[in-house]
Amino acid sequence: MPFSAILVVIVVAAAVALVVGVRANLTRSREGKAFAFVALFILPGIAVWVGYNEQMDRAESKTFCLSCHVMADYGKSLYVDDPSYIPALHFQNNYVPRDRACYTCHTDYTMFGTLNSKIRGVRHVLVEYFGTIPKPENIKLYTPFNNRECLYCHLGARKFEEGRAHSRTPDQMARIKSNQLSCTSSHCHDIVHEVATLKDAILWKETPAQQ
Amino acid sequence: MTRIEQRIRWASILIVAGLLIQLGTFLLVHPLSFVAFLVIGCPLVGAGIVLYLVSLTQNSTTE
Repeated sequence: MPFSAILVVIVVAAAVALVVGVRANLTRSREGKAFAFVALFILPGIAVWVGYNEQMDRAESKTFCLSCHVMADYGKSLYVDDPSYIPALHFQNNYVPRDRACYTCHTDYTMFGTLNSKIRGVRHVLVEYFGTIPKPENIKLYTPFNNRECLYCHLGARKFEEGRAHSRTPDQMARIKSNQLSCTSSHCHDIVHEVATLKDAILWKETPAQQ
Repeated sequence: MTRIEQRIRWASILIVAGLLIQLGTFLLVHPLSFVAFLVIGCPLVGAGIVLYLVSLTQNSTTE
């Protein structure tokens, strides 16, 4: 739904609710009762629903994740000019949508994955405003990164399924798919954000055509 | 003004306040906006709707 339409829905809902509040005696007539039902039940419900969807949509954006200062280096790591940096490789080559780069890799691809992500996000907010903010290089995931999030896109892909590095031992592919062997294990894809060494990194500069 | 009309007025105030806060949260793409939407905006609108429904049920009981 376009953002302008969402604004219109919420403004109209607020205006109609205001009319009923100011002219509460309208509800004495049958038509007035029906109008009040629409104004105080149907329209606010619709307004909250569209507003909620818009907020959830915004909460998946890179801008949203990087709006906390402590995340700035993580955003910068997406621009490292070195394909061995997994987030940079994915971001710069559009393997993930650029405007949703953080969410695409850091959500849980499960039934309640989005909800879990939001709960984790609220936890981040609490730490940001009421806790002790760690240094960027000391920020750790709450739980180890699950291969499920990688496999959501890579499972079945030729490059992944036929990759020689994924089948060095007979059971390696099975261990990867069952999350027994992490994709981010040492000597696999273990160079991730590496924010501690970012100050020495060369950064990629997007040309207008790449933006 | 009857009691039900007073309640409808309060329901309207809560709903309008909640919706205005929702509008305010759209000004910024920021986690605090998201939290304000969920923790302040939605409960205000919800409380207004519940108050309206309660006033309806109590009115029908009186009738």
